[in-house]
Amino acid sequence: MRNIVITPLAPIRISVEAEILSPDIFAPLSMEQICGLDVWQGNRKKKISDLFRVVGDEGPAKPEETALRLEGDFSRVKRIAEGMTAGTVDVTGSVGMHAGNNMLGGKLSILGNADDWLGREMRGGSIIVEGNAGNYAGAGYRGERCGMRGGEIEIRGNAGAYLGEHLCGGNIRVAGDAGDFPGAANQGGTIFIGGSCHLPGAEMTKGTIIVNGKAKVLPGYQKLEIVTIGGEKYQKYAGDLVENGKGELFIQAGSS
Amino acid sequence: MIIRGGIVYDPANGIFGEEMDLCIDGGRIVEDAKGEVIDARGLLVMPGGVDAHSHIAGKKMNTGRIMRPDDSRLGTEPRSGVCRPSTGYTVPNCYAMGYRYARMGYTTAFEAATPIIEARHTHEELEEIPILDKGALTLFGNNWEVMECVHDKDIAKLAAYVAWGLRAARGYGIKIVNPGGGEAWGFGSNVKGLYDPVPNFDVTPAEIIHALAEANEMLRLPHSIHLHFNNLGKPGNYTTALETLEALKDIKPSRMRQAVHVTHMQFSAYGGTSWRDFESKAPVIADYINRHNHATMDMGQLLFGAATTMTADAPLEYGNARLTHNKWSNHDIELEESSGVVPMVYSRKMLVNAVQWAIGLELALLTEDPWKVLMTTDSPNGSPFVNYPEVIALLMSKPKRDSEMATLHAELSKRTSLGGIERELDWSEIAIMTRAAPARILGLEDKGHLGFGADGDVSIYNLLPEEVDASKEHATVKKALATAKYTIKSGIVVCKDGKIIATPRGKTYWVDAAAAQADMDRLMVDLQEKFERYYSVQMSNYAVQDVYVTNPKVIKAGIGAEPLKEVA
Repeated sequence: MRNIVITPLAPIRISVEAEILSPDIFAPLSMEQICGLDVWQGNRKKKISDLFRVVGDEGPAKPEETALRLEGDFSRVKRIAEGMTAGTVDVTGSVGMHAGNNMLGGKLSILGNADDWLGREMRGGSIIVEGNAGNYAGAGYRGERCGMRGGEIEIRGNAGAYLGEHLCGGNIRVAGDAGDFPGAANQGGTIFIGGSCHLPGAEMTKGTIIVNGKAKVLPGYQKLEIVTIGGEKYQKYAGDLVENGKGELFIQAGSS
Repeated sequence: MIIRGGIVYDPANGIFGEEMDLCIDGGRIVEDAKGEVIDARGLLVMPGGVDAHSHIAGKKMNTGRIMRPDDSRLGTEPRSGVCRPSTGYTVPNCYAMGYRYARMGYTTAFEAATPIIEARHTHEELEEIPILDKGALTLFGNNWEVMECVHDKDIAKLAAYVAWGLRAARGYGIKIVNPGGGEAWGFGSNVKGLYDPVPNFDVTPAEIIHALAEANEMLRLPHSIHLHFNNLGKPGNYTTALETLEALKDIKPSRMRQAVHVTHMQFSAYGGTSWRDFESKAPVIADYINRHNHATMDMGQLLFGAATTMTADAPLEYGNARLTHNKWSNHDIELEESSGVVPMVYSRKMLVNAVQWAIGLELALLTEDPWKVLMTTDSPNGSPFVNYPEVIALLMSKPKRDSEMATLHAELSKRTSLGGIERELDWSEIAIMTRAAPARILGLEDKGHLGFGADGDVSIYNLLPEEVDASKEHATVKKALATAKYTIKSGIVVCKDGKIIATPRGKTYWVDAAAAQADMDRLMVDLQEKFERYYSVQMSNYAVQDVYVTNPKVIKAGIGAEPLKEVA
């Protein structure tokens, strides 16, 4: 395994676009080449070594044998692990927007919080966030018809609004609460919310949403029978009938 | 500037692949010149490309951009050198329009449809498109004043209105889109055929088309009427196409050109009674075009992948939106038109899309005379214009078509005749379909050829036409056409090896046609009433002011005007 550790030289105040912080980009390069990679900070182009201390094993290696460790606060660093196909990225702090977007494989774990658009349009691999995630986790970007299509996102804290909007596949699991409109316009995939949320599955045509806490259900949903999943009783709904949808919504029985 | 040793294809002047030198001075092709020498030894040299039908500017293009933020991130290129940033794929920003056409060796493109009242917006965007010479066709097919003149059988007043409308819109020619249908859409319906009356106006589409064609010839406009048929995009619509063409046979062109140009014929060559038994009727259409000389057409080729449909045919877009469950923009344009925009993805797995793909190619390959059929994709309706090299490669290579067909639905060969067509176009035919013919059909005498006095627009491709077998090496052809080695616009090298190195401003063509004063006076009475009672703007604020067309090229036409010089 080739281990590389990246640490900010100083606290980052102006946002950095760091789609290069990915095993796929680092794996084939030598340490010197890695230090020479370009990143944009605001409207200025900089070298990665201007902003970060990068140390680790000399390459090259295959992406699946590359492990990146991001130590410190990366909450102003965007697009970490964008489009990664293999390997691992571990972040000890928080990450900025668009972490793990378009991911195809590998594993991204975040000990702190994730900002908006976590794992948007991802197709494979897995993301684990120990803290909270922002809005639009696993969603599709503006105007896109399909958000996440595959892979797993696990959020151990809470998630923001529009969780898994336009979801087309894959699994999202939130241990805590989700905000407004989780699973809006879904066309597939599964969302599990451990806590409560507001108005899940608006315009959902296909897919499954399970809410373990309380949720206000939209009038476009048809109330069906009580079912048991994993020993728990849930009220089942079908919808969203506004879109002639065939989605399934399960809300903890007795909670709503 | 001297371009040395290229293999030149200039069909308008009878040059079909001859090695020769070209000289450009003062932005025009001349007999002899000094200065920069461009080494084009053995390379393919053609006049700058001319696109006679493309949606490049105006309100519906902008609506497409607003609706499709997902599209804008597909084609982002940062600012670099002389280039401003580019965005978008099917609905690119204005700068990208100019850069991408120039990169393919195109130097002229015409916006296909602008209502008069929205022409100012079109010109604001045309002004921002770098490099290209351009123009905009003006919509007349669902206009209240037009329909009233048609109802009164007052062709002289109609001609006066067309002249006034072209001047108000700084427009180039008469575009007709689903005549009558756009007006009917205001009441939630459509016209079902050529002889179906338009609600409230007591005229038929046939009458509108015929009258506008007569007015067009009365005004001796450089271009003929530019027609988008009724029933476009519907199975079985080829009968409407043939009926319409037949109804225009008696129109006598006022110039040496067609009497009608039919646009994106692919969408009007459909057989069958529904999408289930949908099939190609391209052979019937091509046969008609082969046997008659009053009509020309463009392909409107469809390619697999993303597109954005945008048209003044609003009922058609309603159908598209219902079919795809996609986003839909619907627009009513006061007394003039309606329109719609719907994003689209054409899929290889869908038999209907595969048949549509085949129809465009059939039309081009079965029409014997390349002067009668232009290569277009009705960008971005069939596919964005950046994919022209793919279309050309398909036209030039039977093996490419075969390998493509092998990946498509097995049923396809029963629904089209494409598999049995052996014809492969050569460079002369391609030069006609992308340069000489569009210029002749539009009536642009300085474009599409390399004779002395023509505009100094030349494209040079990194391809040796005498050595490359386009049939076998279609990948090479496609690559070479996608990135011109040199694109020269008015004597300035704007693109070198696919990189934009200069962005001069292009001209905007518009037609200033004169009409009889007595007819104009009668017209004004009508128009004053229309503006008072119906329009949301004052007549004095309606016309496009000169400040919006800063580099105009005005072509004079109309009654009493000098006879126009014939195009080669």
